[in-house]
Amino acid sequence: MLKSSKILVIDTATDYVFLSLLIDGIEVGYTYQNDVRNHAVTVMPKLDELLKKAQIALKEITEVIVGIGPGSYTGVRIGVTIAKMIGYLNNVPVKTVSTLALLASSSSAAKIMARIDARRGNAFTACYSQENGIMKATISDILVNVEQFDQTHEIPDEIVIIGKPDMEKILRSKLTVFVKNIHELVPNYLQVTEAERNKGKI
Amino acid sequence: MYVMGVESSCDETSVAIVKDGKTVLANVVLSQIDIHKEYGGVVPEIASREHVKGISLVFDQSIKKAGIQYKDIDLVAVTEGPGLIGSLLVGVAAAKVVAMNYDIPIIGIHHIAGHIYANNIEHDLVFPCLALVVSGGHTELILMDKHYQFKKIGETVDDAVGEAYDKVARVLDLPYPGGPMVDKLAQQGKDLYHFPRPLFDSKDYQFSFSGLKSHVINLHHNLSQRHEVFELADFCASFQEAVTDVLVKKTKAAAKEYQVKQIIVAGGVAANKGLRGKISREITDIPVCFPSLGYCTDNAAMIAVAGFFKYKTGNKADDYTINGNSRLEL
Repeated sequence: MLKSSKILVIDTATDYVFLSLLIDGIEVGYTYQNDVRNHAVTVMPKLDELLKKAQIALKEITEVIVGIGPGSYTGVRIGVTIAKMIGYLNNVPVKTVSTLALLASSSSAAKIMARIDARRGNAFTACYSQENGIMKATISDILVNVEQFDQTHEIPDEIVIIGKPDMEKILRSKLTVFVKNIHELVPNYLQVTEAERNKGKI
Repeated sequence: MYVMGVESSCDETSVAIVKDGKTVLANVVLSQIDIHKEYGGVVPEIASREHVKGISLVFDQSIKKAGIQYKDIDLVAVTEGPGLIGSLLVGVAAAKVVAMNYDIPIIGIHHIAGHIYANNIEHDLVFPCLALVVSGGHTELILMDKHYQFKKIGETVDDAVGEAYDKVARVLDLPYPGGPMVDKLAQQGKDLYHFPRPLFDSKDYQFSFSGLKSHVINLHHNLSQRHEVFELADFCASFQEAVTDVLVKKTKAAAKEYQVKQIIVAGGVAANKGLRGKISREITDIPVCFPSLGYCTDNAAMIAVAGFFKYKTGNKADDYTINGNSRLEL
């Protein structure tokens, strides 16, 4: 008998904790919950619950897909750390996916913009098109001033700010990236830290 | 019993494996000091990013160095606080994955309990025991009647001693981290300035370093304004004498009042040569222990040792809701 694929998906870069379990390409369970930025507490118990329900041990996971941001710095670090450790400990492949792509996958519109608030009038933004259920990025993850961006870009069919990701759609797309060296996996913050930005100015 | 320790409360990513609360099989420490040097202090967001970057490799190096397998580990002990929240969360998340993956109990450790238990690696704690905890974030006198029982009998009312060192070092334009530099220069200087000894005659075990720090900074400013020539070494020596006089006097008095059988010094400032020398010279009737230099600064071996004793004294393991807590109380 062929060993079945058991994919675990983790994204903690937004206000929502997203966990999904896919067996042979079919989502058998998921969590998509706004936990008021309490990811550090909720993610592992939710993961435990999800795995127990499916009667799968963490060690039996054959692949991890992790949302690497952009989004909340503290939030994304939790999911990426968990994915990194699972990949390392069990020597299983880890793939990354943009948190914006996960958001966009919740929409069935032809032209989608995904957006995550980045404060002070800014947003992490990406645009996607989809045809026959295949999603493609048309504008990759960028940090923009919302007002400026909207004045200069075509209005999409739908702007997504929350939505439960459609993992089967993500799996059909080419939006996941295989991590060659697990020890080098880091979030996509899309921004250097304030300290680094100010360093040159003094 | 093999305990894996995980520490990420500030700017060191560390994973250790310790047998029976004593034998250190591995203690891998990835320091970010060179990165933060450029900013004159630890930048929390950069620290958190560096922890994520290095975390799995530090685990890997530690388990390989120890020569055991993950399934051999009996307990995972992780620093849950106090510290930088973003940094703490990386270590806590990683430790939880190890615990879940191998079905090992996990236990949260207070960072200061770790510093205290660093002493148990090379010595055995003897009770009642008095711990002088001195670091960048803490200045405390803690009484222990038995293992894993901590009673705070005194603490700083303002700056921690290591914080005062770093601020004085910054004003004197000494390279980061300033504390060790002040100590080094102090060895070559004289106590010319007789700085105030704050709360020296108070009958309690409280400390205060903010006023002393300001005094040093003001004098430095005045001398510089008047273009007077002064030796940095004398400045450092004078500051260090004032600080250590207070620390040693209060430690000695507390040791006498509580009739302790042992004094231990813990935390990053336990590496200070001036403090080590003075406390050893002035307290001769009670054994005084220091961790060796490598165990004074942040490391996971001390967390593993504390974890061993916390668990052994009947404290329950935590569950997967264990969280980082930047202001955790001992």
